[in-house]
Amino acid sequence: MITFRLLEVAAAFLVLGAATAFFTRRRRKVCGWVSVAAMGGAAVLMIAVAVRAFAGAADAEVSVLPIASLRSALSVRVDALSALFLCVSGPVAWMTTLYSVEYMSRYTKDSVAKYFPVLLLLFFSIAGTVVTTDLFWFLVFWEVMTLTSFFLVIYERENRESHRAGLKYFIWNQGAALGMVAAALVLWRHAGSFGFAAIRDALGALQVSNPLLAHTVLFLFFAGFATKAGLLPFWNWLPDAYAAAPSSATAAFGGTMSKLGVYGLLRVFLHLLPLGSFTTSWGVVIACVGLASLFIGTLAALQQDDTKRLMSYHAIGQVGYMFLGIGAGLALLRTNPLLGTMGLVAGLFHMVNNCFYKSCLFLGAGAVEFRTGGRSLAAMSGGLGGVMSATMACSLIASLAIAGVPPLNGFASKWLMYVTGILGGEVSFLLPVAALVAMFISLVTLASFLKYLGGAFLGAATEVKGIREVPMTMLAPQVVLATLCIAAGLLPIVPLRLVHQAVVGLPSAAGLPALSALVGPGPNLALVKDGVVLATWAPMPVALVLLVLGAAAFFGLQRAGGAATRTVPVWAGGEEEEPALMRYRADSLYRPFKDAFHGMYPHVPPLQLSVPVFVRRTLDLDRWLFRPIARGTADAARGVSRTHVGIPQVYLLWIIVGAVAVIMTILLVSGGAP
Amino acid sequence: MLTLALALVLVIPVAGAVMAGVARVGEARGVALRAALVTALLAIGVSWVAYPAGYRVMLAGLPWLEHGSSAGLFGLLLDPLATILLLVATVIGFLTVLYSGGYLQKENQEHSVGAEHHGRFYFWLLAFLASMVGVATAPNFLQLFVFWELTTVCSWSLISFYRSPSSLRAGFKAILMTHAGGLFFMAALLVMFVKTGSFDFDAPARLDGNVRGAVYAFLMIAAWGKAAQVPLNTWLPDAMEAPTPISAYLHAAAMVKAGVYLMARAVSSGWAMPEGVGLVMAIMALVTILIALSFYFVQDDLKRLLAYSTIAHLGYVLLGVAIGALGSPIALQGGALHIICHAFGKATLFLCVGAVAWKTGSRSIAGLRGIARIMPLTATAYFVGVLAVTGIPPFACFWSKFMILAGAMQLASPLGPVIMAVVLIESLVAFGWMLRVGQKVFLGPWTPPADRPLHPLPVSMQIALVALIAGCLVAPVVGIPLVHRIVP
Repeated sequence: MITFRLLEVAAAFLVLGAATAFFTRRRRKVCGWVSVAAMGGAAVLMIAVAVRAFAGAADAEVSVLPIASLRSALSVRVDALSALFLCVSGPVAWMTTLYSVEYMSRYTKDSVAKYFPVLLLLFFSIAGTVVTTDLFWFLVFWEVMTLTSFFLVIYERENRESHRAGLKYFIWNQGAALGMVAAALVLWRHAGSFGFAAIRDALGALQVSNPLLAHTVLFLFFAGFATKAGLLPFWNWLPDAYAAAPSSATAAFGGTMSKLGVYGLLRVFLHLLPLGSFTTSWGVVIACVGLASLFIGTLAALQQDDTKRLMSYHAIGQVGYMFLGIGAGLALLRTNPLLGTMGLVAGLFHMVNNCFYKSCLFLGAGAVEFRTGGRSLAAMSGGLGGVMSATMACSLIASLAIAGVPPLNGFASKWLMYVTGILGGEVSFLLPVAALVAMFISLVTLASFLKYLGGAFLGAATEVKGIREVPMTMLAPQVVLATLCIAAGLLPIVPLRLVHQAVVGLPSAAGLPALSALVGPGPNLALVKDGVVLATWAPMPVALVLLVLGAAAFFGLQRAGGAATRTVPVWAGGEEEEPALMRYRADSLYRPFKDAFHGMYPHVPPLQLSVPVFVRRTLDLDRWLFRPIARGTADAARGVSRTHVGIPQVYLLWIIVGAVAVIMTILLVSGGAP
Repeated sequence: MLTLALALVLVIPVAGAVMAGVARVGEARGVALRAALVTALLAIGVSWVAYPAGYRVMLAGLPWLEHGSSAGLFGLLLDPLATILLLVATVIGFLTVLYSGGYLQKENQEHSVGAEHHGRFYFWLLAFLASMVGVATAPNFLQLFVFWELTTVCSWSLISFYRSPSSLRAGFKAILMTHAGGLFFMAALLVMFVKTGSFDFDAPARLDGNVRGAVYAFLMIAAWGKAAQVPLNTWLPDAMEAPTPISAYLHAAAMVKAGVYLMARAVSSGWAMPEGVGLVMAIMALVTILIALSFYFVQDDLKRLLAYSTIAHLGYVLLGVAIGALGSPIALQGGALHIICHAFGKATLFLCVGAVAWKTGSRSIAGLRGIARIMPLTATAYFVGVLAVTGIPPFACFWSKFMILAGAMQLASPLGPVIMAVVLIESLVAFGWMLRVGQKVFLGPWTPPADRPLHPLPVSMQIALVALIAGCLVAPVVGIPLVHRIVP
């Protein structure tokens, strides 16, 4: 009950905050700060709820707002998985709201009434989605999430591009959500209720009685979650929509909303679906789709010029990692619980890490856009590092984290994934291959972020006059997120404990190996089997060594060498050229890659709907039914009126004809008898 | 006491109509507004008091018409189903009157209307409101039929309000087609009276065999005519010649709902509609939904687009009722809920289009651009209306559509998945199209017209829009407890 009360207060914070923000819309900053306060309050409560859940406070399920005929009610229960999402999305949401206060001053033509209240409602729906245990309400919150995020995508009223992107986004996601509605109704029919427990039983029975239907249902759910997460082949909306929304909203999408695809996946495949052969086969599917996504998405990212589009394609790639880990975990869960758990934990841990660095990256790109007004890497003059050094530092940390460079958090989760893949070689040769692909793609990720960092921040600071660092309220969220990236990288065992608890708290994953069996007691990660250390990762010592080596290089080589730093013009074979001309521009990077993989990222042209003319004519009943009837009636009436000529003799004639007709009829009917 | 209050709900709009009709130039609006407000408040109060037990009283009979089962022939009824229609008719009726006060002005860029026409307008509008109250509170088919035909007459006059050749034609077409349906209603009345000696709502259920099927089929055809269902659908788009508040009220919220209400009433009293008729009704509803959808893409007039959407949504109600008749009461509950949910959503949309036309003089999808710049409230209302009508939670029609779908899935026959597929596809396509139209019309860069001034939207129209936005959220909250009382 306490959990429910806390969540109620959090919801009140968000809803009332949204209302207050709406009424203070004319004063932009006030509106923003009201939202920050409301989100802050809600985030603290969400974390409190999560702490309770992780501490094992078993609050009973609370049900409100019953709809009797649907046998559904808004049931709320926070298990460890819900808690994990609450405690990750709460702070990220808070940080993005804080960032928005200053950032939204960019948009002078559009009212913040379209932004802050909607953003708060988005976070409300996200929290609602993860805490409910009723499939109907899950879908309600899910759709509200799509709805609110749509309004954030189309925020700029005069920008046609963003409207197109928003429409595409909503239609894709609405289609996917309607598929989930269908699946939910099929399950409801068999379960008689929307409660997760009843649905789990029904799905278990359906696996046996009608496997095809069960597969269809699982496919519809998978498609729904994959669409929200932006996975291939349901990705088409993502780069457009992410690029169109304000960067602060994009950070919220990347850091919180799209991750609910992962939440849904785990909820369905490890909670609603009892462990069995279906788990294994769907695990293979999920892993394959994840692998394809991370490969194609990241390679496509390499070719992008727009900073936000580049990061959006990485969102596709990164979610591929998560699906790969979770899919591999699901596939191995029955035959090899140890590796199975490892994969699941790796995928979910990667999701947590991704929330931090992906939102930090979007905020960084927003900061660059805020100051320069541009997002095109080719058009950037570079050199921002000199004036926006803090932003650059945060973006650098986040870039290295997403690329999986040790000792940051991205590496920790990827390491778990690699271990799963390589050790999974004893089950299938495909797993080491997947691990190799994932490693290769990490390299590509690094390459594409070097392009971003180089294009935006490096170079001579000659052309960036008048550009300053972003204000404190925009910088602080980036610093916090970057710090979280470092912290989770240096002490991965802390978040891993929560992640592991979240996984094993799910009904189909109960009884899986303890975390110490997977990675040892900590703080270093070590997989020990039969007394042999199979793999180990020690972030602290490595970080220490790196720090010492760095310091040694700096002091030992540069200082001790005694060479002074000289500032000289660029030398180009004797010619004196402008620095801008001599720069190696971002769009020139990775030509061979671009040529080799050109067009591999499929583009779907927009659907053109048209109804053939003959169909329309056939459907137009006026044309062939009612108008002829009306015309016929009018003609007949005219015919009758023509008989009224006004001459008595003619009327007399009609009377006689009529009398004869009546007599004849009587004779005919009576058959001649009197 | 309740009898008196309920009777007043019926009498006040009649009195208001007469007073507005004879009022001096310039006074009709105030009279009508007060009458509509009192009616709406009384209706809400009566519904509150009568819930949940319902209320029924018979007041009078006819000496020459022996009526078998009950004490009288004429009376008043307020059960949950009636409450739904009563609330729709009176609350949206009041908002329409309120909105009309701002709409019918000289500043109206689409159709400038002088105060000398107000008396005629408000007379017919309030008379219509009274007829709808009569339809909602009728305790048997006979009384329902009387008010049913009165709505037809009022509708004819209001469609032809501008008296242009096209509006006269449209009004004539509407009265012909709906009255053709009304004749089937009359036939059904005669048959049931001859066979059972009663006009009670459950009289058709007491018939046997083919006669019962025929009576239900006749009622169904009457409903098709009134609710503009295929094949009697073509009058509704033409009726968009009417002033926009009229289109909103008559052709989205109220009159067309009388048709579907008739079926909901016939089915839920006795639950004895033969399966064959139910099957025909369900299939024709699906056909209607798809045909109406196919016309979306060729419309340039915003109002005609909404008219086709209305046809589709009345199809939804009939679909729910039909599934209910096939053995799944939750779908009938969903259909009844759709009556109130769709009424608020569609009234919002129509009044938005009215506001746009009032200000810019245009209803053309191709011609309008970026008007959210000058009409932020209207733009908000339009998007809320689209979301409400196409069924995006938490807005109105999501709840009703979901209940209809749930009912469809309960059916044992393979019809359930077919219905679900059609409904989901229609939802997605209609949603995408309406959203696209909204983006085209309201978003994008705005260029002010050079040739005419832009008057600010009258406050009364703004209040009506805000109230309807709220209604799109509140309608299911009010409706769900009510429809749960409609059980076999």
